[in-house]
Amino acid sequence: MKAVFIAALLSLPSCLALTPQQQLSQLASAGGGLIKLNADTFGLLTSPKRTWSASIQFTALDPRRRCNPCKEFNPSWGTVAKAWANAPPHARQDHFFATLDFDDAGGVFQKLGLNSAPLVFNYPPTEGDRKPSSGNTSPTKYDFSDGFEARPLADYLSKFTPVPIPYKDPIDWASWITIVIGVLGSLLCLRFIAPIVQNKWFWAAGTVITSLVMTSGYMFTRIRGSPYNGGDGSWIAGGYQNQFGQEVQVVAFIYGLLSFAFLMLILVVPYQTSPQRQRIQVYLWTGVTMIVYSVLVSLFRVKNRGYPFKLFL
Amino acid sequence: MSTAYPIPSDISPATVKNTASLLRIVALSLISGAAIASRLFAVINFESVIHEFDPWFNYRATRVLASKGFYEFWNWFDPTAWYPLGRVVGGTVYPGLMVTSGIIYNFLHALNLPVDIRNVCVMLAPGFSALTAWATYMFTKEMKDESAGLLAAAFIGIVPGYISRSVAGSYDNEAIAIFLLMFTFYCWIKALKQGSALFGTFAAVFYFYMVAAWGGYAFITNMIPLHALALLLMGRFSSRLYVAYTSWYAIGTLASMQVPFVGFQPVSTSEHMGALGVFGLLQIVAFAQLVRTHVSSQQFQRLLYGVVVAIGILGAFAFVFLTYKGKIAPWTGRFYSLWDTGYAKKYIPIIASVSEHQPTAWPSFFMDLQFLVFTFPAGVVLCFRELRDEHIFVILYSVVASYFAGVMVRLMLTLTPVVCVASAVALSTLLDTFIDPTEPPAEEDADDGVSANGSSSTAPPSQSASKKAKKAAASAPTKTALGDFVAATSSKGGSPRPKGIFGLDSRLVVVFNTLSMLVFFVFHCTWVTSNAYSSPSVVLASQNPDGSQHIIDDFREAYYWLRQNTPEDSVVMSWWDYGYQIAGMADRPTLVDNNTWNNTHIATVGKAMSSSEEVAYPILRKHDVDYVLVIFGGLIGYSGDDINKFLWMVRIAQGVWPDEIQEPNYFTPQGEYRIDDRASKTMKESLMYKMSYYRFNELFGGNPGVDRVRQQQVPKEGPTLDYLDEAFTSENWIVRIFQVKKEDPLGRDLKSANQFAQGKKRKRSKPAPRRRAIV
Repeated sequence: MKAVFIAALLSLPSCLALTPQQQLSQLASAGGGLIKLNADTFGLLTSPKRTWSASIQFTALDPRRRCNPCKEFNPSWGTVAKAWANAPPHARQDHFFATLDFDDAGGVFQKLGLNSAPLVFNYPPTEGDRKPSSGNTSPTKYDFSDGFEARPLADYLSKFTPVPIPYKDPIDWASWITIVIGVLGSLLCLRFIAPIVQNKWFWAAGTVITSLVMTSGYMFTRIRGSPYNGGDGSWIAGGYQNQFGQEVQVVAFIYGLLSFAFLMLILVVPYQTSPQRQRIQVYLWTGVTMIVYSVLVSLFRVKNRGYPFKLFL
Repeated sequence: MSTAYPIPSDISPATVKNTASLLRIVALSLISGAAIASRLFAVINFESVIHEFDPWFNYRATRVLASKGFYEFWNWFDPTAWYPLGRVVGGTVYPGLMVTSGIIYNFLHALNLPVDIRNVCVMLAPGFSALTAWATYMFTKEMKDESAGLLAAAFIGIVPGYISRSVAGSYDNEAIAIFLLMFTFYCWIKALKQGSALFGTFAAVFYFYMVAAWGGYAFITNMIPLHALALLLMGRFSSRLYVAYTSWYAIGTLASMQVPFVGFQPVSTSEHMGALGVFGLLQIVAFAQLVRTHVSSQQFQRLLYGVVVAIGILGAFAFVFLTYKGKIAPWTGRFYSLWDTGYAKKYIPIIASVSEHQPTAWPSFFMDLQFLVFTFPAGVVLCFRELRDEHIFVILYSVVASYFAGVMVRLMLTLTPVVCVASAVALSTLLDTFIDPTEPPAEEDADDGVSANGSSSTAPPSQSASKKAKKAAASAPTKTALGDFVAATSSKGGSPRPKGIFGLDSRLVVVFNTLSMLVFFVFHCTWVTSNAYSSPSVVLASQNPDGSQHIIDDFREAYYWLRQNTPEDSVVMSWWDYGYQIAGMADRPTLVDNNTWNNTHIATVGKAMSSSEEVAYPILRKHDVDYVLVIFGGLIGYSGDDINKFLWMVRIAQGVWPDEIQEPNYFTPQGEYRIDDRASKTMKESLMYKMSYYRFNELFGGNPGVDRVRQQQVPKEGPTLDYLDEAFTSENWIVRIFQVKKEDPLGRDLKSANQFAQGKKRKRSKPAPRRRAIV
């Protein structure tokens, strides 16, 4: 960062001779595609007569500000800005990436009435041929609903840049290596795994566990990103069309236990050779069915208040 | 052999067989009766009316088919839908449902039974549910036996997961599709078992019917190849498989291409490539088998094996290459979103916005399947025990369908049949085991005090003995249960172990327990059907304080108002949910409807609804809109109204006009979605907000009104409208219709004209003299 300032200072005398756009491109190339703003350069970048557009990150990276989202988001911003530095030179001069830290220019935050960070604003050009046809030149805010990742950010910002941002997702080496090692490992151990893979009960377990987990609403928690539990110790989410992650486990376990009781009655009990032992098993598994089923129904009554039936509980 | 209870011995086997077959017929007809009867709640509680949204289009199309004939229907261009674009209905519809009811209608009229086409449509789904029960019976019979089949038929007849889509009046494609699904699967299993080209052809014919009836045919298109592939990988290739698959695929694919809406998709889209690939693979494998029987050389066989594998790999690469080059269309968004679950929300908000495309939480599963949801895995395990070719089908089906049902509420429908089949297998095996009267020979056990055929009158053993037995029993299951389980499941060779149940009480306990679960299931299904799934949602019901039913009929009131009071060519704009209903009941042209084929057009409506009056007015005028219809539930607490759907309108509009519509602008700075004083300016100025709350406060005598859906107070200053006029508001304010004003005859913009009319011009000009005075 020091280098940036030195570069900025060094460029100051020459600024007098340069147009604002050239100054900005110098600042940008000095910062590796990203301009670190202060109050003055912010004014320069967002001057009301601008033929360029700008994407500005408002952030507070100083540890004293304790802005964790800022720290989470900053690397994504940096990679997208760096990607823009590889754009064709003529396009690079028409759009700038900049970061404004609260501690560098708190006044700007006040002036714009911002009281949260991080924020990303896009300033469209007010003059020139890239001026928006609607005539609306007020900045637009980036919506963080897609998270802090770089990919959605780059996709969104590409709509405002003269050419799409040449952003490429970094190759996820870790997962590739894991996959390769996994495949190679299983190929090497094929001799030992083969009896397991060829055993139908291995597949039966897989099938049953899959269907139990799916019918317990696992995909719901995955898609909706439900929390594991309520935070305050409660593990049942209120409402009929809602559930927590822990409910998947409990419900799948209940279903599994009931299925198991049925299977014991069908598969194991008839093969008992001792009448006494068989009778006790029959009563045991029937009792398990009745009690666990009652628990399940009472659990369902919690989720669906209007449900009129109940068993022993 | 000793028996647990006396069985008559003087009956000839023929009598037993005949009685059993008679009982089966009686049971099946009773099941059909129950299946139809339990779907009539909607007709009894309300009336014989077409439900919901899509059925209204199907009904309208069926009326065209019945009154004008098939060719008119086939060439029907509907100029009133998607105004001003129109819709080629014949080419963009799955005609199976309409043709089915058209045939029934004409058949009944040929018999001089003058049945109204509406009643045919209303009763079609219950009628077909009886056929579904029969098809499920046939299917399950192939899995186990007739008794399991009867149980499965009873389950599918009343299970809420299927009733939810097939109550009387729910005239949708699914009404006939589940029957076709089950029957196609039955024919496939039969063809596979017998290696019969005849049944393969039947499967293909019913597959064609399915393709003509429901977009979900892709499920069959991929399930059967998946089954064939699994059999192939398990080394179970046989000429039976070859004959069944080849006859099904060749005839079925050619037939399905005759449906105009499907056309050449079977050879050009990824959804169908699996079937084609397996078809090719089977040819290669069959060829290799043939050559092998004629060539003896070991080396040559090895070479052949290598060639087959190479051709397979080359074929797979050819698919990838063609997809890459764009010759084969990649997965369509609707199917792709099943795998990449975040895809729809990001790229196709229209699909994500539909409530039946949401993921399923566990209470829905329990509500729709009740105790079947946990007997179903037991049935799947029993399929593994035997593992014939057809059992592999059930296993694959259960895995695939339970994943799909978890991702989308709507696909619960495809899971339900396999759950019924597997549960029926489990329960009937259980009942078979515990009703079977034969008792196994008792083991000569020293510490076993009770005789083998201990009747209920036998005195209990002494205290200490029973304690000992209890202790042994307590440790026995935990210690030996798994061992027994493994022994029971894996013992194949050797002499069969003696098997059976001792005593009468063990039998009674299990049978009684199972029967009470079944009875509970019946109560559950009846309750769910009558309370949750029988609402037509065109007519709503609430309860009066004394518990009697109060019918809320705002929708029909408003649609008939439109029909009676507006010119026939006046265009009505509403959110797409209500397009089919307006077309069906009010018979007026609409901008968008539930056939969501044109995203831009829908986004246009979304933009008009979510922008301010000044921005929306030119859009409305350009589309010749005369009336705007909104659904507002704030007065009586109807939560499915347009304000709750509003964010989807914003999102869809934002997808097309990201510069003009931005979702965050509709939230408060704290990120809340509010409609009261704290609502954002954009929200308050949006057309939707203004139309919904226009004159709402007047109902409360000038006090700020309370929105009963959002539980918020609306602002004291209600919204005003300059470009629209309130035309009609239904009794409970659910439907509000606004007329779009024509341009001002004097050429002013309507806002200033309005202010002039209200005399506000003078008020506004008042400060001016004062300012002059100061100067």
